Amino acid sequence: MSELSLTQLRKSFGETEIIKGINLDVSEGEFVVFVGPSGCGKSTLLRMIAGLEDVSDGEIQIGGKVVNDLAPVKRGIAMVFQSYALYPHMTVFENIAFPLRVERLPNDEVNERVDRAAKVLQLDARLEQRPGTLSGGQRQRVAIGRAIVRQPRIFLFDEPLSNLDAALRSEMRIELMELHKKLGSTMIYVTHDQVEAMTMADKIVVMNTGVIEQIGSPLELYHKPDNRFVAGFIGSPKMNFINGTCTAADGKKITIDLGELGNVVLERNSTAQVGQRVTIGIRPEHLALNEGDFILNLVPRIVEHLGIHAIVYADQPDGEVFTGMFEGDPAVKEGTPVKIGFNAIDTHLFDADGMAVY
Amino acid sequence: MSNKPMIDRYKWYEVVGIYAGIALFLFFVLAPFIEGFMVSLKPLSALFSSPYSFWPKNGSLTAYFTMWESVPGFWRYIANSMFISSVATIVVLILVVPAAYAFARFPFPGRGALLGAFLAVNMFSGAVLLIPLFRLMRSLGLLNTYFAMIVPGVAFLIPTAIWLLRTYMMRIPRELDEAAWVDGASRLYTLRRVILPIAMPGIIVVAITTFIGAYAQQFIFALTFNSKTEFMPLPIGLFAYFGRQEVVWNELMAASFVGITPVLILIVFLQRYLVAGLTAGAVKQ
Repeated sequence: MSELSLTQLRKSFGETEIIKGINLDVSEGEFVVFVGPSGCGKSTLLRMIAGLEDVSDGEIQIGGKVVNDLAPVKRGIAMVFQSYALYPHMTVFENIAFPLRVERLPNDEVNERVDRAAKVLQLDARLEQRPGTLSGGQRQRVAIGRAIVRQPRIFLFDEPLSNLDAALRSEMRIELMELHKKLGSTMIYVTHDQVEAMTMADKIVVMNTGVIEQIGSPLELYHKPDNRFVAGFIGSPKMNFINGTCTAADGKKITIDLGELGNVVLERNSTAQVGQRVTIGIRPEHLALNEGDFILNLVPRIVEHLGIHAIVYADQPDGEVFTGMFEGDPAVKEGTPVKIGFNAIDTHLFDADGMAVY
Repeated sequence: MSNKPMIDRYKWYEVVGIYAGIALFLFFVLAPFIEGFMVSLKPLSALFSSPYSFWPKNGSLTAYFTMWESVPGFWRYIANSMFISSVATIVVLILVVPAAYAFARFPFPGRGALLGAFLAVNMFSGAVLLIPLFRLMRSLGLLNTYFAMIVPGVAFLIPTAIWLLRTYMMRIPRELDEAAWVDGASRLYTLRRVILPIAMPGIIVVAITTFIGAYAQQFIFALTFNSKTEFMPLPIGLFAYFGRQEVVWNELMAASFVGITPVLILIVFLQRYLVAGLTAGAVKQ
């Protein structure tokens, strides 16, 4: 049985529809990440699940029960906010204990539950401090502690790491994943950072303009994106897209004319694209210098040497940027033409509507 | 070399200009106090001597003692003043805190219009409405009571208080309310446990400005709605020194200073909250 299920969920603010019919099933214990560019509706969707936003149409079920009209506390969820939303006038202990105080639990139980949460989050030594004296990571943990003590069915995280600096962010990412293992609860996590999504999720939900573009495991999304949007969103640096025209297809092979860059032949059993404008996609990390099924002649404009790899930016004939990532310290100079090669097997093909062709 | 940062450095003539400006305005503010204090030190006969001397010759504090004898009930006026202002402040706070929270947080129909109306009320001084208020009080049979001096005052103080406190509460992040709501807290619980403590500096500012406002405006209400000596606040009570034959100026001035002392002390103690509250930024996360 699914822990959370959304059916044809819609949300409008006045005339504008923000969430346009979302269907989603989340099973117990899953770590699900909603990812998408800002304004795609991912936070609104999370707030709808939390009960902070009304549902315009559709259904939210938690544990098999429709919760559309239930207050957040009755839904069995707990939420961690982007700004942590700690109460500055209360100690860490009272912050964590807040939900239990609301429930009017006896003092012994409050103490016991807060202590347990504090141990899990290594906050034991800080219980008497105020949030103002804590570092960003510690505040984050207090906010998580306040969610844990409620023992909710589902944890909701709204961009919890976006206020932290890069080093702390990767540290907290690992802590959150360990916490998920330890508690085994269902977690739904919203972020605009695809790295967070890729590293943490069991299941990624890629959203754009109020609809789900694709649902899948991180590697599914990486290797088999359903459309151009997902292909471009997942992966860093971004996938390269080269526009071309499909000139021939025989049910086994498909030929694409890339203009000045030459022809590419891919193995696809589709023939519907003949004569269409199509796009091929190739990830920067799948490129090699001077070798591969196809070779592109490009002039690097900027080269970034990062030690472990180098990132090369070049212009395609139509002005689009082409990015390459090569291991180590390759012999590439700005302004000197290079041969960049790639293999047919790594190449993605998208039809005129941006849908992937496999 | 001065070790001040560049932004705090001034040429000598700029410094002179700044202090001259301050001195000019301070003179206008403080001159009445100085003159009043000098008068309170002089014997009555010296007040009308010619040529007039600003500095008291054979000055003494006698007036500060005789004032209690010429108007035996004077302490009562001070107490009345404090009582009227305190009650007004408490009533205003009780009404304004939930109102400001509602105006800051809930979008309800008519919110903008109501806020605008409060602002408009602020533009009328109480004096404009004295006659209608008087008729109202008379038909309700409330003339010559504390009630008549407190309630109109409260009504005129509420708009400013709501605007002040609403602005302060709007700076408290909405996520705090939402977090409490997700954790099962009711609106009132959130107001009591989360918003009130965080808004305390703002509430203190509102309390002080309201108290000062109530203290300053009671004159006009007391003058119109009250004729009972025992209910008179300080500003009206001072008229007791206007005798049939002559005005006892030195005792009048002494009484004025004695009368404002309690409030002065109060303000000195609370002013750090006033400054802190007025300048406090958003709640530090």
